[in-house]
Amino acid sequence: MILQTAFNGFVSGIIVTLPALAITLLFGVLKFPNFAVGSMMTLAAYVVFALNVQLGLPLTLATAIGAILFGGVLIFIDALTFRPLRERGSITLMVASLGLGFVLENIARLAYGNTARSFALELARPFRFLDVRMNREQMIAIVAASIALVAMYFLLTRMPIGRAMRAVADNPALALVRGIESPTVIRWTWFIAGVLLAVGGVLIGMDRALEPPMGSNYLIMVFAAAILGGLGSPLGAFVGALIIGIVSELSTLVIAPNYRIGIPLCVIALILIFRPQGLFGQPHIRR
Amino acid sequence: MISFIILMSIIVCFSAIIALALNFQWGLGGMVNFGLTGLYALGAYACAILMTRFGMNTFVGAVGAMVIVAAVSALVALVTLRVSEEDYFAIVTLGVGEMLRLVALNEDWLTNGALGITGVPRPFGDVIPPEYYQYFMLGLSLTLLLGTLALLNVLARSPFGRIMRAVREDDVVAATLGKRVPWAHVRIFVLGGALIGLAGSLHAFYYQYIDPTQFSNVVIAYAFMAVISGGRGAHFGTIMGAAAVMVLLEGSRFAKEIIPGLDSDQLAAIRIIMIGVGLILLLIFRPHGFMREYRLQVSLK
Repeated sequence: MILQTAFNGFVSGIIVTLPALAITLLFGVLKFPNFAVGSMMTLAAYVVFALNVQLGLPLTLATAIGAILFGGVLIFIDALTFRPLRERGSITLMVASLGLGFVLENIARLAYGNTARSFALELARPFRFLDVRMNREQMIAIVAASIALVAMYFLLTRMPIGRAMRAVADNPALALVRGIESPTVIRWTWFIAGVLLAVGGVLIGMDRALEPPMGSNYLIMVFAAAILGGLGSPLGAFVGALIIGIVSELSTLVIAPNYRIGIPLCVIALILIFRPQGLFGQPHIRR
Repeated sequence: MISFIILMSIIVCFSAIIALALNFQWGLGGMVNFGLTGLYALGAYACAILMTRFGMNTFVGAVGAMVIVAAVSALVALVTLRVSEEDYFAIVTLGVGEMLRLVALNEDWLTNGALGITGVPRPFGDVIPPEYYQYFMLGLSLTLLLGTLALLNVLARSPFGRIMRAVREDDVVAATLGKRVPWAHVRIFVLGGALIGLAGSLHAFYYQYIDPTQFSNVVIAYAFMAVISGGRGAHFGTIMGAAAVMVLLEGSRFAKEIIPGLDSDQLAAIRIIMIGVGLILLLIFRPHGFMREYRLQVSLK
Protein backbone atom coordinates (compact mmCIF):
# COMPACT_ATOMS: atom_id res chain seq x y z
CA MET A 1 0.00 0.00 0.00
CA ILE A 2 2.73 2.43 1.00
CA LEU A 3 4.82 1.30 -1.93
CA GLN A 4 1.90 1.82 -4.30
CA THR A 5 1.20 5.32 -2.93
CA ALA A 6 4.88 6.20 -3.11
CA PHE A 7 4.96 5.07 -6.72
CA ASN A 8 1.91 7.18 -7.56
CA GLY A 9 3.60 10.09 -5.81
CA PHE A 10 6.75 9.52 -7.83
CA VAL A 11 4.71 9.70 -11.02
CA SER A 12 2.87 12.86 -10.01
CA GLY A 13 6.21 14.30 -8.93
CA ILE A 14 7.81 13.58 -12.26
CA ILE A 15 4.84 15.19 -14.03
CA VAL A 16 5.23 18.29 -11.87
CA THR A 17 8.93 18.42 -12.78
CA LEU A 18 8.10 19.81 -16.20
CA PRO A 19 6.07 22.88 -15.15
CA ALA A 20 8.45 23.39 -12.21
CA LEU A 21 11.36 23.56 -14.65
CA ALA A 22 9.37 25.98 -16.83
CA ILE A 23 8.67 28.24 -13.83
CA THR A 24 12.24 28.16 -12.69
CA LEU A 25 13.58 28.98 -16.17
CA LEU A 26 11.09 31.81 -16.60
CA PHE A 27 11.89 33.10 -13.14
CA GLY A 28 15.61 32.94 -13.79
CA VAL A 29 15.46 34.93 -17.00
CA LEU A 30 12.51 37.25 -16.37
CA LYS A 31 12.78 37.61 -12.57
CA PHE A 32 9.14 37.20 -11.62
CA PRO A 33 7.02 34.21 -10.60
CA ASN A 34 4.57 33.56 -13.39
CA PHE A 35 1.11 32.75 -12.05
CA ALA A 36 -0.23 32.00 -15.52
CA VAL A 37 1.68 28.73 -15.91
CA GLY A 38 -1.24 26.66 -14.61
CA SER A 39 -3.62 28.05 -17.18
CA MET A 40 -0.91 27.81 -19.83
CA MET A 41 -0.77 24.06 -19.21
CA THR A 42 -4.55 23.88 -19.51
CA LEU A 43 -4.63 25.74 -22.80
CA ALA A 44 -1.74 23.70 -24.21
CA ALA A 45 -3.48 20.47 -23.23
CA TYR A 46 -6.59 21.61 -25.08
CA VAL A 47 -4.51 22.49 -28.16
CA VAL A 48 -3.17 18.92 -28.11
CA PHE A 49 -6.72 17.67 -27.50
CA ALA A 50 -7.89 19.47 -30.65
CA LEU A 51 -5.07 17.92 -32.70
CA ASN A 52 -5.51 14.48 -31.16
CA VAL A 53 -9.27 14.05 -30.95
CA GLN A 54 -10.64 16.48 -33.51
CA LEU A 55 -8.01 16.03 -36.22
CA GLY A 56 -7.40 12.39 -35.35
CA LEU A 57 -3.61 12.53 -35.03
CA PRO A 58 -1.91 9.96 -32.80
CA LEU A 59 -1.26 11.39 -29.34
CA THR A 60 2.54 11.41 -29.64
CA LEU A 61 2.48 13.35 -32.90
CA ALA A 62 -0.25 15.65 -31.60
CA THR A 63 1.81 16.39 -28.49
CA ALA A 64 4.93 17.12 -30.53
CA ILE A 65 3.11 19.49 -32.90
CA GLY A 66 1.10 21.02 -30.06
CA ALA A 67 4.21 21.64 -27.96
CA ILE A 68 6.04 23.44 -30.76
CA LEU A 69 2.90 25.40 -31.63
CA PHE A 70 2.40 26.37 -28.01
CA GLY A 71 6.01 27.52 -27.69
CA GLY A 72 5.25 29.95 -30.51
CA VAL A 73 2.00 31.00 -28.84
CA LEU A 74 3.86 31.89 -25.66
CA ILE A 75 6.37 34.04 -27.58
CA PHE A 76 3.39 35.86 -29.05
CA ILE A 77 1.65 36.22 -25.66
CA ASP A 78 4.86 37.55 -24.16
CA ALA A 79 5.12 40.19 -26.88
CA LEU A 80 1.56 41.33 -26.15
CA THR A 81 1.52 41.28 -22.35
CA PHE A 82 4.86 41.02 -20.62
CA ARG A 83 7.20 42.86 -22.99
CA PRO A 84 5.51 46.25 -22.49
CA LEU A 85 5.78 45.71 -18.72
CA ARG A 86 9.32 44.34 -18.62
CA GLU A 87 10.89 47.29 -16.79
CA ARG A 88 8.06 47.76 -14.27
CA GLY A 89 9.18 45.50 -11.48
CA SER A 90 8.06 42.09 -10.40
CA ILE A 91 4.75 43.00 -8.70
CA THR A 92 3.31 44.50 -11.88
CA LEU A 93 4.40 41.46 -13.86
CA MET A 94 2.90 39.10 -11.28
CA VAL A 95 -0.44 40.91 -11.37
CA ALA A 96 -0.37 40.82 -15.16
CA SER A 97 0.38 37.09 -15.10
CA LEU A 98 -2.57 36.55 -12.76
CA GLY A 99 -4.84 38.37 -15.23
CA LEU A 100 -3.36 36.40 -18.10
CA GLY A 101 -4.09 33.19 -16.21
CA PHE A 102 -7.79 34.10 -16.01
CA VAL A 103 -7.84 34.89 -19.73
CA LEU A 104 -6.16 31.67 -20.87
CA GLU A 105 -8.19 29.37 -18.63
CA ASN A 106 -11.41 30.92 -19.85
CA ILE A 107 -10.42 30.75 -23.50
CA ALA A 108 -10.27 27.00 -22.95
CA ARG A 109 -13.60 27.10 -21.11
CA LEU A 110 -15.19 29.17 -23.88
CA ALA A 111 -14.07 26.72 -26.53
CA TYR A 112 -14.69 23.40 -24.77
CA GLY A 113 -16.99 24.13 -21.83
CA ASN A 114 -16.74 22.80 -18.29
CA THR A 115 -17.20 19.10 -19.05
CA ALA A 116 -14.22 16.85 -18.41
CA ARG A 117 -12.70 15.33 -21.53
CA SER A 118 -9.93 12.88 -22.24
CA PHE A 119 -7.42 12.16 -24.97
CA ALA A 120 -8.03 9.50 -27.59
CA LEU A 121 -5.90 6.73 -26.19
CA GLU A 122 -7.02 3.14 -26.22
CA LEU A 123 -7.34 1.51 -22.84
CA ALA A 124 -4.63 -0.86 -21.72
CA ARG A 125 -4.46 -3.27 -18.86
CA PRO A 126 -2.28 -2.11 -15.96
CA PHE A 127 0.56 -4.46 -15.10
CA ARG A 128 2.11 -5.38 -11.79
CA PHE A 129 5.69 -5.24 -10.67
CA LEU A 130 6.69 -6.09 -7.08
CA ASP A 131 3.04 -5.76 -6.05
CA VAL A 132 2.87 -2.22 -7.43
CA ARG A 133 0.18 -1.62 -9.97
CA MET A 134 1.39 0.58 -12.83
CA ASN A 135 -0.91 1.70 -15.59
CA ARG A 136 0.21 2.64 -19.04
CA GLU A 137 -0.45 6.39 -18.55
CA GLN A 138 2.02 6.33 -15.68
CA MET A 139 4.67 4.60 -17.77
CA ILE A 140 4.14 7.12 -20.57
CA ALA A 141 4.48 9.94 -18.05
CA ILE A 142 7.76 8.57 -16.71
CA VAL A 143 9.23 8.03 -20.18
CA ALA A 144 8.07 11.38 -21.60
CA ALA A 145 9.20 13.36 -18.59
CA SER A 146 12.58 11.61 -18.55
CA ILE A 147 13.15 12.42 -22.21
CA ALA A 148 12.22 16.05 -21.58
CA LEU A 149 14.54 16.23 -18.59
CA VAL A 150 17.53 14.75 -20.41
CA ALA A 151 16.88 17.11 -23.32
CA MET A 152 16.72 20.05 -20.90
CA TYR A 153 19.98 18.97 -19.29
CA PHE A 154 21.79 18.91 -22.64
CA LEU A 155 20.19 22.16 -23.67
CA LEU A 156 21.25 23.99 -20.53
CA THR A 157 24.79 22.60 -20.32
CA ARG A 158 25.87 21.86 -23.87
CA MET A 159 24.05 24.21 -26.20
CA PRO A 160 24.92 27.91 -26.69
CA ILE A 161 21.34 29.05 -26.09
CA GLY A 162 21.18 27.12 -22.82
CA ARG A 163 24.41 28.66 -21.63
CA ALA A 164 23.15 32.09 -22.69
CA MET A 165 19.97 31.49 -20.67
CA ARG A 166 21.95 30.58 -17.60
CA ALA A 167 24.19 33.61 -18.11
CA VAL A 168 21.21 35.97 -18.31
CA ALA A 169 19.64 34.31 -15.27
CA ASP A 170 22.85 34.65 -13.33
CA ASN A 171 23.75 38.24 -14.14
CA PRO A 172 21.81 40.12 -16.83
CA ALA A 173 24.18 43.09 -16.94
CA LEU A 174 27.28 40.91 -17.36
CA ALA A 175 25.52 38.84 -20.02
CA LEU A 176 24.69 42.03 -21.90
CA VAL A 177 28.29 43.21 -21.73
CA ARG A 178 29.40 39.86 -23.14
CA GLY A 179 27.19 40.43 -26.16
CA ILE A 180 24.32 38.09 -25.27
CA GLU A 181 21.14 39.48 -26.74
CA SER A 182 18.54 39.25 -24.06
CA PRO A 183 15.47 39.56 -26.38
CA THR A 184 16.58 36.41 -28.20
CA VAL A 185 17.25 34.60 -24.96
CA ILE A 186 13.84 35.65 -23.62
CA ARG A 187 12.10 34.35 -26.77
CA TRP A 188 13.91 31.02 -26.49
CA THR A 189 13.04 30.79 -22.82
CA TRP A 190 9.34 31.23 -23.58
CA PHE A 191 9.55 28.70 -26.36
CA ILE A 192 11.20 26.09 -24.15
CA ALA A 193 8.79 26.86 -21.32
CA GLY A 194 5.95 26.41 -23.80
CA VAL A 195 7.20 22.98 -24.81
CA LEU A 196 7.64 21.91 -21.18
CA LEU A 197 4.22 23.21 -20.19
CA ALA A 198 2.52 21.55 -23.15
CA VAL A 199 4.04 18.16 -22.33
CA GLY A 200 3.22 18.73 -18.64
CA GLY A 201 -0.35 19.67 -19.53
CA VAL A 202 -0.81 16.55 -21.66
CA LEU A 203 0.57 14.32 -18.90
CA ILE A 204 -1.74 15.91 -16.32
CA GLY A 205 -4.66 15.53 -18.71
CA MET A 206 -3.78 11.86 -19.15
CA ASP A 207 -3.31 11.25 -15.43
CA ARG A 208 -6.57 13.00 -14.41
CA ALA A 209 -8.88 14.54 -17.03
CA LEU A 210 -8.97 17.57 -19.29
CA GLU A 211 -10.97 20.36 -17.68
CA PRO A 212 -10.44 24.12 -17.43
CA PRO A 213 -9.10 24.27 -13.84
CA MET A 214 -6.75 21.28 -14.36
CA GLY A 215 -3.62 23.41 -14.64
CA SER A 216 -4.35 25.96 -11.94
CA ASN A 217 -5.02 23.12 -9.51
CA TYR A 218 -1.36 22.25 -9.82
CA LEU A 219 -0.10 25.81 -9.41
CA ILE A 220 0.69 25.69 -5.70
CA MET A 221 2.35 22.27 -6.04
CA VAL A 222 4.49 23.53 -8.93
CA PHE A 223 5.55 26.61 -6.99
CA ALA A 224 6.30 24.53 -3.92
CA ALA A 225 8.56 22.30 -6.03
CA ALA A 226 10.35 25.29 -7.53
CA ILE A 227 10.79 27.04 -4.17
CA LEU A 228 11.89 23.86 -2.41
CA GLY A 229 14.59 23.42 -5.02
CA GLY A 230 15.48 27.11 -4.90
CA LEU A 231 13.72 29.35 -7.44
CA GLY A 232 15.91 29.59 -10.50
CA SER A 233 17.80 26.29 -10.08
CA PRO A 234 16.83 23.68 -12.70
CA LEU A 235 18.32 20.75 -10.78
CA GLY A 236 16.52 21.99 -7.67
CA ALA A 237 13.21 22.09 -9.54
CA PHE A 238 13.64 18.43 -10.46
CA VAL A 239 14.50 17.24 -6.96
CA GLY A 240 11.90 19.53 -5.41
CA ALA A 241 9.16 18.21 -7.67
CA LEU A 242 9.94 14.58 -6.84
CA ILE A 243 9.97 15.29 -3.09
CA ILE A 244 6.71 17.27 -3.24
CA GLY A 245 5.03 14.62 -5.37
CA ILE A 246 5.94 11.72 -3.11
CA VAL A 247 5.30 13.55 0.16
CA SER A 248 1.92 14.94 -0.84
CA GLU A 249 0.77 11.59 -2.21
CA LEU A 250 1.91 9.77 0.95
CA SER A 251 0.11 12.40 3.02
CA THR A 252 -3.20 11.17 1.62
CA LEU A 253 -2.72 8.06 3.79
CA VAL A 254 -3.15 10.26 6.88
CA ILE A 255 -5.10 13.36 5.84
CA ALA A 256 -8.13 13.86 3.59
CA PRO A 257 -7.16 13.82 -0.09
CA ASN A 258 -9.03 17.09 -0.62
CA TYR A 259 -6.30 18.88 1.25
CA ARG A 260 -3.48 17.60 -0.92
CA ILE A 261 -2.40 21.20 -1.64
CA GLY A 262 -1.98 21.75 2.08
CA ILE A 263 1.27 19.76 2.06
CA PRO A 264 2.97 21.85 -0.66
CA LEU A 265 1.79 24.94 1.18
CA CYS A 266 3.32 23.75 4.45
CA VAL A 267 6.52 22.90 2.59
CA ILE A 268 6.64 26.45 1.21
CA ALA A 269 6.11 27.88 4.69
CA LEU A 270 8.80 25.68 6.28
CA ILE A 271 11.29 26.43 3.51
CA LEU A 272 10.69 30.17 3.80
CA ILE A 273 11.17 30.04 7.55
CA PHE A 274 14.21 27.76 7.74
CA ARG A 275 16.01 27.90 4.41
CA PRO A 276 14.67 30.69 2.19
CA GLN A 277 17.12 30.00 -0.61
CA GLY A 278 15.80 26.46 -1.07
CA LEU A 279 17.79 23.24 -1.25
CA PHE A 280 19.91 24.13 -4.25
CA GLY A 281 19.69 27.92 -4.43
CA GLN A 282 22.39 30.38 -3.57
CA PRO A 283 21.79 32.57 -0.51
CA HIS A 284 20.50 35.83 -1.85
CA ILE A 285 22.53 38.92 -1.07
CA ARG A 286 20.68 42.18 -1.38
CA ARG A 287 22.53 45.26 -2.46
CA MET B 1 -35.17 50.26 -10.86
CA ILE B 2 -34.65 52.08 -7.57
CA SER B 3 -34.05 48.81 -5.79
CA PHE B 4 -31.57 47.79 -8.50
CA ILE B 5 -29.62 51.02 -7.94
CA ILE B 6 -29.65 50.43 -4.19
CA LEU B 7 -28.50 46.84 -4.68
CA MET B 8 -25.67 48.03 -6.94
CA SER B 9 -24.65 50.69 -4.43
CA ILE B 10 -24.48 48.14 -1.62
CA ILE B 11 -22.32 45.83 -3.77
CA VAL B 12 -20.11 48.78 -4.66
CA CYS B 13 -19.66 49.46 -0.94
CA PHE B 14 -18.39 45.90 -0.24
CA SER B 15 -16.07 45.96 -3.18
CA ALA B 16 -14.84 49.42 -2.28
CA ILE B 17 -13.95 48.20 1.22
CA ILE B 18 -12.06 45.22 -0.26
CA ALA B 19 -10.35 47.52 -2.74
CA LEU B 20 -9.41 49.90 0.08
CA ALA B 21 -7.96 46.97 2.03
CA LEU B 22 -5.89 45.92 -0.98
CA ASN B 23 -4.91 49.53 -1.56
CA PHE B 24 -3.76 49.72 2.05
CA GLN B 25 -1.72 46.53 1.80
CA TRP B 26 -0.41 46.89 -1.73
CA GLY B 27 -0.86 50.55 -2.71
CA LEU B 28 0.53 52.00 0.50
CA GLY B 29 2.46 49.12 1.98
CA GLY B 30 3.76 47.43 -1.15
CA MET B 31 2.58 43.95 -0.12
CA VAL B 32 0.63 42.07 -2.77
CA ASN B 33 -2.23 39.95 -1.55
CA PHE B 34 -3.24 37.18 -3.93
CA GLY B 35 -5.18 35.43 -1.18
CA LEU B 36 -7.83 38.12 -1.13
CA THR B 37 -10.67 35.83 -2.18
CA GLY B 38 -9.88 33.23 0.46
CA LEU B 39 -9.61 35.84 3.20
CA TYR B 40 -12.85 37.48 2.08
CA ALA B 41 -14.55 34.08 2.20
CA LEU B 42 -13.01 33.48 5.63
CA GLY B 43 -14.52 36.76 6.83
CA ALA B 44 -17.98 35.91 5.52
CA TYR B 45 -17.88 32.35 6.88
CA ALA B 46 -16.45 33.39 10.25
CA CYS B 47 -19.21 35.92 10.69
CA ALA B 48 -21.94 33.52 9.59
CA ILE B 49 -20.64 30.63 11.70
CA LEU B 50 -20.21 32.76 14.82
CA MET B 51 -23.83 33.82 14.52
CA THR B 52 -25.56 30.63 13.38
CA ARG B 53 -23.53 28.05 15.32
CA PHE B 54 -22.51 29.94 18.41
CA GLY B 55 -25.50 32.26 18.69
CA MET B 56 -23.45 35.44 18.78
CA ASN B 57 -25.16 38.69 17.90
CA THR B 58 -24.37 40.48 14.65
CA PHE B 59 -21.93 42.95 16.18
CA VAL B 60 -19.84 40.23 17.80
CA GLY B 61 -20.05 38.27 14.52
CA ALA B 62 -18.61 41.12 12.49
CA VAL B 63 -15.91 41.99 15.00
CA GLY B 64 -15.07 38.33 15.41
CA ALA B 65 -14.72 37.97 11.64
CA MET B 66 -12.38 40.95 11.55
CA VAL B 67 -10.24 39.52 14.36
CA ILE B 68 -10.08 36.06 12.75
CA VAL B 69 -9.10 37.37 9.32
CA ALA B 70 -6.56 39.68 10.91
CA ALA B 71 -5.06 36.76 12.84
CA VAL B 72 -4.73 34.61 9.72
CA SER B 73 -3.17 37.56 7.91
CA ALA B 74 -0.69 37.98 10.74
CA LEU B 75 0.27 34.32 10.40
CA VAL B 76 0.85 34.77 6.66
CA ALA B 77 3.01 37.84 7.24
CA LEU B 78 5.00 36.03 9.95
CA VAL B 79 5.76 33.04 7.70
CA THR B 80 7.35 35.29 5.12
CA LEU B 81 9.35 37.40 7.59
CA ARG B 82 12.71 36.09 6.47
CA VAL B 83 12.29 36.74 2.78
CA SER B 84 11.89 40.32 1.76
CA GLU B 85 11.03 39.63 -1.90
CA GLU B 86 7.41 40.18 -2.83
CA ASP B 87 7.57 37.08 -5.05
CA TYR B 88 7.41 34.61 -2.18
CA PHE B 89 4.79 36.64 -0.42
CA ALA B 90 2.57 36.50 -3.48
CA ILE B 91 2.93 32.71 -3.71
CA VAL B 92 2.19 32.18 -0.02
CA THR B 93 -0.88 34.41 -0.05
CA LEU B 94 -2.18 32.64 -3.15
CA GLY B 95 -1.70 29.27 -1.49
CA VAL B 96 -3.36 30.32 1.76
CA GLY B 97 -6.29 31.75 -0.19
CA GLU B 98 -6.77 28.47 -2.07
CA MET B 99 -6.50 26.52 1.17
CA LEU B 100 -9.18 28.62 2.85
CA ARG B 101 -11.51 28.07 -0.08
CA LEU B 102 -10.89 24.33 0.12
CA VAL B 103 -11.72 24.35 3.82
CA ALA B 104 -14.98 26.17 3.08
CA LEU B 105 -15.86 23.59 0.45
CA ASN B 106 -14.86 20.44 2.33
CA GLU B 107 -15.48 20.88 6.05
CA ASP B 108 -19.17 20.00 6.04
CA TRP B 109 -19.47 19.92 9.82
CA LEU B 110 -18.41 23.56 10.03
CA THR B 111 -19.30 25.26 6.78
CA ASN B 112 -21.99 22.94 5.40
CA GLY B 113 -19.79 22.33 2.36
CA ALA B 114 -21.10 23.08 -1.09
CA LEU B 115 -24.62 23.64 0.25
CA GLY B 116 -23.52 26.75 2.10
CA ILE B 117 -24.89 28.40 5.22
CA THR B 118 -28.43 29.72 5.11
CA GLY B 119 -30.39 32.03 7.34
CA VAL B 120 -27.58 34.30 8.42
CA PRO B 121 -29.11 36.90 10.78
CA ARG B 122 -28.61 40.55 9.98
CA PRO B 123 -28.17 43.60 12.11
CA PHE B 124 -31.54 44.84 13.47
CA GLY B 125 -33.16 42.31 11.15
CA ASP B 126 -36.13 41.81 13.51
CA VAL B 127 -36.65 45.49 14.28
CA ILE B 128 -36.66 47.00 10.80
CA PRO B 129 -39.52 45.97 8.50
CA PRO B 130 -38.28 43.99 5.48
CA GLU B 131 -39.51 46.51 2.92
CA TYR B 132 -37.22 49.18 4.38
CA TYR B 133 -34.33 46.90 5.10
CA GLN B 134 -32.42 47.60 1.91
CA TYR B 135 -32.29 51.31 2.79
CA PHE B 136 -30.90 50.48 6.19
CA MET B 137 -28.35 48.12 4.63
CA LEU B 138 -27.26 50.83 2.20
CA GLY B 139 -26.91 53.31 5.04
CA LEU B 140 -24.92 50.83 7.12
CA SER B 141 -22.60 49.94 4.23
CA LEU B 142 -22.05 53.58 3.33
CA THR B 143 -21.32 54.47 6.95
CA LEU B 144 -18.80 51.65 7.25
CA LEU B 145 -17.21 52.60 3.93
CA LEU B 146 -16.88 56.24 4.97
CA GLY B 147 -15.55 55.18 8.35
CA THR B 148 -12.96 53.00 6.64
CA LEU B 149 -12.03 55.86 4.34
CA ALA B 150 -11.64 58.26 7.26
CA LEU B 151 -9.54 55.76 9.22
CA LEU B 152 -7.26 55.10 6.26
CA ASN B 153 -6.87 58.81 5.54
CA VAL B 154 -5.75 59.39 9.12
CA LEU B 155 -3.40 56.38 8.96
CA ALA B 156 -1.87 57.49 5.65
CA ARG B 157 -1.00 60.87 7.14
CA SER B 158 0.27 59.47 10.44
CA PRO B 159 3.87 58.49 11.23
CA PHE B 160 2.86 54.90 10.49
CA GLY B 161 1.71 55.97 7.03
CA ARG B 162 5.14 57.43 6.39
CA ILE B 163 6.83 54.23 7.54
CA MET B 164 4.55 52.27 5.21
CA ARG B 165 5.49 54.33 2.19
CA ALA B 166 9.16 54.18 3.12
CA VAL B 167 8.97 50.38 3.36
CA ARG B 168 7.14 50.23 0.04
CA GLU B 169 9.64 52.42 -1.80
CA ASP B 170 12.79 50.83 -0.44
CA ASP B 171 12.79 48.54 2.56
CA VAL B 172 16.58 48.55 2.81
CA VAL B 173 16.64 52.33 3.22
CA ALA B 174 13.77 52.12 5.72
CA ALA B 175 15.66 49.46 7.69
CA THR B 176 18.83 51.54 7.59
CA LEU B 177 16.91 54.45 9.08
CA GLY B 178 15.99 52.24 12.02
CA LYS B 179 12.46 51.34 11.00
CA ARG B 180 11.45 47.79 11.85
CA VAL B 181 10.45 46.52 8.42
CA PRO B 182 9.08 43.06 9.40
CA TRP B 183 6.96 44.55 12.18
CA ALA B 184 5.62 47.15 9.72
CA HIS B 185 4.79 44.33 7.30
CA VAL B 186 2.84 42.45 9.97
CA ARG B 187 0.89 45.54 11.00
CA ILE B 188 0.07 46.46 7.40
CA PHE B 189 -1.20 43.00 6.66
CA VAL B 190 -3.19 42.68 9.89
CA LEU B 191 -4.98 46.00 9.43
CA GLY B 192 -5.80 45.17 5.81
CA GLY B 193 -6.98 41.74 6.91
CA ALA B 194 -9.37 43.27 9.46
CA LEU B 195 -10.91 45.38 6.67
CA ILE B 196 -11.31 42.31 4.47
CA GLY B 197 -13.05 40.60 7.40
CA LEU B 198 -15.39 43.57 7.67
CA ALA B 199 -16.25 43.36 3.97
CA GLY B 200 -16.79 39.62 4.35
CA SER B 201 -19.24 40.07 7.21
CA LEU B 202 -21.16 42.70 5.24
CA HIS B 203 -21.37 40.16 2.43
CA ALA B 204 -22.82 37.59 4.84
CA PHE B 205 -25.34 40.10 6.25
CA TYR B 206 -26.46 41.24 2.86
CA TYR B 207 -26.93 37.91 1.12
CA GLN B 208 -27.98 36.00 4.29
CA TYR B 209 -26.77 32.93 2.47
CA ILE B 210 -23.17 32.04 1.64
CA ASP B 211 -21.70 29.17 -0.32
CA PRO B 212 -18.23 28.53 -1.79
CA THR B 213 -19.19 29.52 -5.35
CA GLN B 214 -19.72 33.13 -4.30
CA PHE B 215 -16.01 33.51 -3.71
CA SER B 216 -14.33 32.97 -7.04
CA ASN B 217 -10.75 34.02 -7.59
CA VAL B 218 -11.82 36.73 -10.01
CA VAL B 219 -12.48 38.93 -6.95
CA ILE B 220 -8.70 39.43 -6.87
CA ALA B 221 -8.76 40.76 -10.42
CA TYR B 222 -11.63 43.15 -9.58
CA ALA B 223 -9.81 44.48 -6.57
CA PHE B 224 -6.55 44.98 -8.43
CA MET B 225 -8.39 46.73 -11.27
CA ALA B 226 -10.10 49.04 -8.80
CA VAL B 227 -6.84 49.93 -7.08
CA ILE B 228 -4.85 50.40 -10.28
CA SER B 229 -7.51 52.44 -12.05
CA GLY B 230 -8.04 54.56 -8.97
CA GLY B 231 -4.34 55.21 -8.60
CA ARG B 232 -2.23 53.22 -6.16
CA GLY B 233 -2.33 54.81 -2.74
CA ALA B 234 -5.19 57.20 -3.57
CA HIS B 235 -8.10 56.27 -1.27
CA PHE B 236 -10.88 58.21 -2.90
CA GLY B 237 -9.63 57.16 -6.32
CA THR B 238 -9.80 53.53 -5.21
CA ILE B 239 -13.46 53.93 -4.23
CA MET B 240 -14.24 55.51 -7.59
CA GLY B 241 -12.29 52.71 -9.27
CA ALA B 242 -14.25 50.07 -7.39
CA ALA B 243 -17.53 51.77 -8.36
CA ALA B 244 -16.53 51.97 -12.02
CA VAL B 245 -15.35 48.35 -12.14
CA MET B 246 -18.45 46.99 -10.42
CA VAL B 247 -20.87 49.01 -12.56
CA LEU B 248 -19.10 47.83 -15.73
CA LEU B 249 -19.09 44.23 -14.51
CA GLU B 250 -22.69 44.13 -13.40
CA GLY B 251 -23.65 45.99 -16.56
CA SER B 252 -21.93 43.30 -18.63
CA ARG B 253 -24.57 40.86 -17.38
CA PHE B 254 -26.89 42.56 -19.84
CA ALA B 255 -24.55 41.52 -22.66
CA LYS B 256 -26.58 38.32 -22.81
CA GLU B 257 -29.25 40.14 -24.81
CA ILE B 258 -26.69 41.52 -27.25
CA ILE B 259 -24.81 38.30 -28.05
CA PRO B 260 -27.31 35.51 -28.69
CA GLY B 261 -26.53 31.84 -28.94
CA LEU B 262 -24.19 31.55 -25.98
CA ASP B 263 -24.88 29.48 -22.90
CA SER B 264 -24.30 30.84 -19.42
CA ASP B 265 -20.93 29.08 -19.00
CA GLN B 266 -19.64 30.71 -22.16
CA LEU B 267 -20.94 34.12 -21.11
CA ALA B 268 -19.24 33.76 -17.74
CA ALA B 269 -16.03 32.79 -19.54
CA ILE B 270 -16.26 35.83 -21.80
CA ARG B 271 -16.74 38.11 -18.81
CA ILE B 272 -13.69 36.71 -17.06
CA ILE B 273 -11.65 37.02 -20.26
CA MET B 274 -12.68 40.67 -20.47
CA ILE B 275 -11.71 41.21 -16.84
CA GLY B 276 -8.28 39.67 -17.40
CA VAL B 277 -7.67 41.63 -20.59
CA GLY B 278 -8.86 44.80 -18.86
CA LEU B 279 -6.44 44.23 -16.00
CA ILE B 280 -3.50 43.75 -18.37
CA LEU B 281 -4.47 46.77 -20.49
CA LEU B 282 -4.72 48.91 -17.36
CA LEU B 283 -1.27 47.79 -16.26
CA ILE B 284 0.20 48.58 -19.67
CA PHE B 285 -1.52 51.86 -20.49
CA ARG B 286 -2.70 53.38 -17.20
CA PRO B 287 -0.38 52.05 -14.50
CA HIS B 288 -0.74 55.19 -12.39
CA GLY B 289 -4.50 55.34 -12.56
CA PHE B 290 -6.66 58.40 -12.64
CA MET B 291 -6.00 59.92 -9.24
CA ARG B 292 -2.90 60.67 -7.23
CA GLU B 293 -1.77 59.53 -3.85
CA TYR B 294 -1.85 62.02 -0.97
CA ARG B 295 1.35 64.03 -0.77
CA LEU B 296 2.30 66.39 1.97
CA GLN B 297 2.30 69.82 0.43
CA VAL B 298 3.93 72.83 2.05
CA SER B 299 3.42 76.25 0.62
CA LEU B 300 6.47 78.44 0.79
CA LYS B 301 4.71 81.80 0.84
